[in-house]
Amino acid sequence: MMVQEVKPKRSAALSALSLIVIIAFLATLPLWTDDYWVRIWTGVAMWAGLAASWNIIGGYAGYISFGQVAFFGIGAYATAILMQPGLDWNFFLTLPVGAVVAGVFALIVGWPTLRLRGAYFAIATWALAEALTQIVNTVDFTGGSFGLSTPGNAETGFFYYAMLIASAAIYLIIFLLLERSRFGYKVKAVRDNEAAAQSLGINTTSVKLQAFVLSAALPAVLGGIDAYWITFINPQSVLAGDITDQMVVMSLVGGLGHLWGPAIGATVLYLSSTWLNAHFGSSTGYIAMIGALLALIVLFLPDGLVGLLPRVRNMRLVRQILRLPERPAGAAGPSVDTSGDRP
Amino acid sequence: MVRVAMQLLVQTVIDGLLVGGLYVAISIGFSLAFGVLDVVDFAVGEWVMLGAFAGVASQAWLGIDPIAFLPAVFVIFALIGLLVAPLIYRVRTSRYARPALMALAFTFGIAMFARGVMLTSVGFDPRTVETHLVGGTLMIGGIHIPWLRLAGFIFAIVSTALFMGFLFFTRTGLAVRATAQNKRNASLMGIDVKRLSGLVYAIYAGLTAMAGVLIGAIYSFTAQVGPQYSLLAFFVVVMAGLGSVGGVLVAGLFLGMLQALVTVYVGADYTLAIVFGVLFLILLVSPQGVLRRGLAA
Repeated sequence: MMVQEVKPKRSAALSALSLIVIIAFLATLPLWTDDYWVRIWTGVAMWAGLAASWNIIGGYAGYISFGQVAFFGIGAYATAILMQPGLDWNFFLTLPVGAVVAGVFALIVGWPTLRLRGAYFAIATWALAEALTQIVNTVDFTGGSFGLSTPGNAETGFFYYAMLIASAAIYLIIFLLLERSRFGYKVKAVRDNEAAAQSLGINTTSVKLQAFVLSAALPAVLGGIDAYWITFINPQSVLAGDITDQMVVMSLVGGLGHLWGPAIGATVLYLSSTWLNAHFGSSTGYIAMIGALLALIVLFLPDGLVGLLPRVRNMRLVRQILRLPERPAGAAGPSVDTSGDRP
Repeated sequence: MVRVAMQLLVQTVIDGLLVGGLYVAISIGFSLAFGVLDVVDFAVGEWVMLGAFAGVASQAWLGIDPIAFLPAVFVIFALIGLLVAPLIYRVRTSRYARPALMALAFTFGIAMFARGVMLTSVGFDPRTVETHLVGGTLMIGGIHIPWLRLAGFIFAIVSTALFMGFLFFTRTGLAVRATAQNKRNASLMGIDVKRLSGLVYAIYAGLTAMAGVLIGAIYSFTAQVGPQYSLLAFFVVVMAGLGSVGGVLVAGLFLGMLQALVTVYVGADYTLAIVFGVLFLILLVSPQGVLRRGLAA
């Protein structure tokens, strides 16, 4: 599927230019807007990072995880617990702890399930998240259903830059590991045809496991920053199933398995959900909306919004609907053999 | 003292088995829909939730007792299932990359849509399905058996038996089993896989919604309970082995018992954690399910 195309130089210059504009926009944001918009863009940065982390296992490795919120929650609770009075850890030192704990959990869940069909993995990750929520609700050191508070820090700008840098780092890691390394080729090979990948000597289970651990450790860091940001966490705020739902939907809306897809999906969806909340004040309607959107995207736009951009993928269906000309055969066809498709 | 403890144990096991019957009813169609469509339907719990609300609506709007309304619930949800199934089939057999994954996401979207719509229209208040046809408690040697639960169990056993009869003693049932084993060979034998998967999905949706009415009569529910029952159905089919019908019987009753025992002897707060632990062990030891007949890889 990921056939590399030879891009003309003008297109490369254009992408570089738009990247510079976006970086400049994001880096200077707190200088020219008020706190309200800085907070909203902090959310955009967080969701872009979360969706991108989900995209590693869901998009690049082709295994849907419906329990990714567990790792976000583990990160949030790690930071909150270590910053409690008595322990008083430095905020930045708590982040790697959360990432490691989340990675270990991913290893434990992924090890038996990633050898099996994707459905088993989807079910197991979901069950993990549900069980974790129940345990956190019950045991003492997490504050039960009441939750924990973290020492407050009022500077909006600090959290904006923390979230932005963490998300940017996540994108850099994904770019280097999955778009520019042997590991990335292995992951995509396993996704596109597991049997063929195995016959070429790739240890498929190990590759999938590495991708899953990576996609679990990264959201834990964002969870830690989030816990410090919102100053008060409970299972409903950092372990809610909606968080996973949103990661999945944002990746799919933007474009599964595409580097920028999750960022585009997160920006579009987070801003529209903020707008919906401000105008209608209903959060349950949003669940129905993203559910319908998810179903429609799968039916009509399986490559997500990035599929609408020229030169990204061959989007036969969308091209038909929009009456765009078909691309010459053999450019980048959807002629993928799906018989090796496992989930 | 020993006698009281024994009585509690027997009572707990019987309670669990009675509830387990309903889990079998939810999971059996679900397992077969997986076999035929090759998609794990994340909307399974939402069919339970919608069925329970249909029971409430029949009492409130039509004045019909929900138990008497069960056949109508089956028909309504079978029709809805007939509408949804072709969409799932379309995604599953599409030429997209990774169609199975996309179909999984599709059913997840449908589930979220159903939950969001119900939450928006009825809110978060817990409800129960009120029925007057079945009430009271049966007493056998100090063991309490509410008639309602017994009725639910009997419903589950009868519908499962009918379903098994359909599968093993009719030509269409033979076609369903053949399709679950191998789609390509089945269609080479002249089976219309698309039509058949629509039929199976319709039966599954109707059956699950009927079970939902009974579950709603036994436990209180909100528009949010869907995922909880999906999780239980997943547990049953994973333990049974995805696509194995016989294993569902064993696994469903086992889950009911496990849940009752954990609630009584450990505490209700730990049910999910223990259920998950058991699920994890099963996946580790025997991914093909208890009867080793499922499709693991």
